[in-house]
Amino acid sequence: MRRIPVLGLFFGVFLGAGVDYAGEKPQGDPQAPVDPRTLRALALDLLGRPPLEAEWQRWRTLTRAKLQDELVGSPEFWTHWFEEQLYYFLLVNNFRPVQERLVAIPRELAEKRLDVREAIHRVALSSSFDQRNPGADTFVTVVMEQLAGLEVTKNQRELEIGKKVYDGAPGTFLGAPAQSQADVVRNAVKSGFFAQHLLRREYERLARSKPDAKDLAPWCVQFEKDPRCFPELERGWLEGPAYAARLAQGAPLPNRSFARALYVDLADRLPTFEEAEPMREALDSLADSAPLRSITARLLIDSGKLALPARKDVSDVSGWLRTRFLRLLGREPSEGELGAFGKILDEPGARLETVLYALVSSPEYNRC
Amino acid sequence: MDRRAFLRTAAATGGVLAAARFLPARASAVLAPAAGERKTKHLVLVAFAGGVRTRETFGTPQNVPTLAALADEGVLYTRARTSNLGHFGAALAIFTGLAEQRGIRENARSNDVTLFEYLRKDLGWGPNDAWIATSGGAQQVNYAYGLHPEYGAKYGANTLDGEGIFNREFKSLLETWGRPRVWSEAEERELASLRACLAQRAGATKPDPGAAQVERFLLEELTRGTADLTGPNASDAKALRVARNLLTLFRPKITAVVLQDADIAHGNYGGYVEVVRRNDAAIGELWKAIKQDPELANSTAIMVVPEFGRDRDLNSRRGLDHGDGSEELGYVTCACWGPDFKKKSIVKEDVGVVDVTPTICDLFGAKPRFAHGKRLPGLFA
Repeated sequence: MRRIPVLGLFFGVFLGAGVDYAGEKPQGDPQAPVDPRTLRALALDLLGRPPLEAEWQRWRTLTRAKLQDELVGSPEFWTHWFEEQLYYFLLVNNFRPVQERLVAIPRELAEKRLDVREAIHRVALSSSFDQRNPGADTFVTVVMEQLAGLEVTKNQRELEIGKKVYDGAPGTFLGAPAQSQADVVRNAVKSGFFAQHLLRREYERLARSKPDAKDLAPWCVQFEKDPRCFPELERGWLEGPAYAARLAQGAPLPNRSFARALYVDLADRLPTFEEAEPMREALDSLADSAPLRSITARLLIDSGKLALPARKDVSDVSGWLRTRFLRLLGREPSEGELGAFGKILDEPGARLETVLYALVSSPEYNRC
Repeated sequence: MDRRAFLRTAAATGGVLAAARFLPARASAVLAPAAGERKTKHLVLVAFAGGVRTRETFGTPQNVPTLAALADEGVLYTRARTSNLGHFGAALAIFTGLAEQRGIRENARSNDVTLFEYLRKDLGWGPNDAWIATSGGAQQVNYAYGLHPEYGAKYGANTLDGEGIFNREFKSLLETWGRPRVWSEAEERELASLRACLAQRAGATKPDPGAAQVERFLLEELTRGTADLTGPNASDAKALRVARNLLTLFRPKITAVVLQDADIAHGNYGGYVEVVRRNDAAIGELWKAIKQDPELANSTAIMVVPEFGRDRDLNSRRGLDHGDGSEELGYVTCACWGPDFKKKSIVKEDVGVVDVTPTICDLFGAKPRFAHGKRLPGLFA
């Protein structure tokens, strides 16, 4: 095997641990264009990917509020939301639903013909969900835990009733009559536990922190009144202090976002499902995916399929570097970085690939 | 004075048995050699997870000739108590020595300390001394370490999910990209200087010298035939293949393997039995590799531990679920083989799968401070 000796040098560093975002705090002026860090983080959080070049050029002229309005509730926002739900239920690989009724969920959500409660209800009734959770004990446990947020050890009686209902016996499950597997799902989705659990975990996914109980209660009331308020709730979360803290501190880039970001940032295109999913699956198979992230970045950069410009075609090196830093790391390069990177690119035979590889394999890139 | 020093002193003064009275029962290893004197330098722990009953394993020896032979040359525990915590929680209990409820599809780490963290912290083992090969996808990488503030990621195991990384689609994706180009020394120097520049901002820690070896291993494995393994136990076979390759390359002090394919039993009893048979054969390959390696042959132990059994009766789909609370679900049979273990021994008293972590810690000399299990009785020769 050919040796690639320096690849491993950064692998001892857990992804992005220790990255200090001090000095990169999002701007406070609501009329100012969105700052590059917030722009990148919003795209990654709401769409599961960073912006393409053309999007970046346009979005950086928008205010943060305008950008949020544009992203939240967009068709791609719902596609990402749906993918995150499938991942939450571990409906991946062989269990990924392919039925038209399931595939149509993001479109129907975007067209407001479906709300998130109905969407999850539909997912839980699918054959994929059934196959993923075979047998009465597993199925009812998963419904209680993942749809209603209940601990089965503290609700053994409910579990036993649910298992009997699953097998066709009549019973009262989560406060309502039931007599089938479908009733188990329906009762969980219609129960008050559902809204609380859904909003709690969705808030946590976005803000990377648990919501206060006093905040959660009114959200649940609003959701129970009309579940179509979900995008509105999400806009509110984006404006809250927890999300501000998440922006200030940065957050680890999940493997599924990394797989998509690599294509967007290096090839300026979205990966196909067939490109992104096997990579996500492979990255997920390692407790520390840093070595494999670095390998995939290196392979992609060395593949010759990226249509990158040659060094000689870049006349404004500082401008090119500044744009790469802003797009890939969400910040301006420091004077020292500009000097060090510029010096390398001034060497005879210098390649832009070297700079790109250094950036995308850095701990900083692996946070957002 | 630590426990070992205390025991050495007590033994020297002829007070071993008296001294043992003042030790907790779980720590009374007075008649067994201290960890440093033991012959075992490597251990392979196979969590035969996915739900495997004794009836289809040691109850039908022709299904599991390897396990039967292991037991014949080692120690067999016929009543190992388990907890029906779902696959994730039950398998995790083997690695933490704590049976605690975990969400069945939970994909997060707990605060519980794992076996790997105890061993790496107490004994100063390096990152490549502890590995886990799994077969159950993203959820199982959480077995590598917990979030306890005194332990955590820096003492975790390297985890590699065979099915995840060696999926055919990923292999073909890599093939379309081609192999990495060899960068010139000048390019590598440039890259290193750029990274050093970026690292100043990121506050990076000292690079891990073993990491490059991991990366080479991954690249090499990606181009081997592991991705091409098929059959009802394909995921498990990949995990066992990976474990075998890890063992011969890195010679980790502990290599854990977590199997999962037996759970096909929910809807396919025949398939489940076939998985048991094939996994037994794959464990046989692993055992053979150990025996053929001069360094490993006399210094390696193997423990095979199911996470729980399955229901007593078939369900309406002629499959086997796991939720009836029967003895067949709650008790499993475990086999242990190794240079420090007894031979041809059968222990019929009740033990627990949570005893595995304290036992392995004891074997190597680590302290499982938060584990609830105790050392397996009747194991050491």
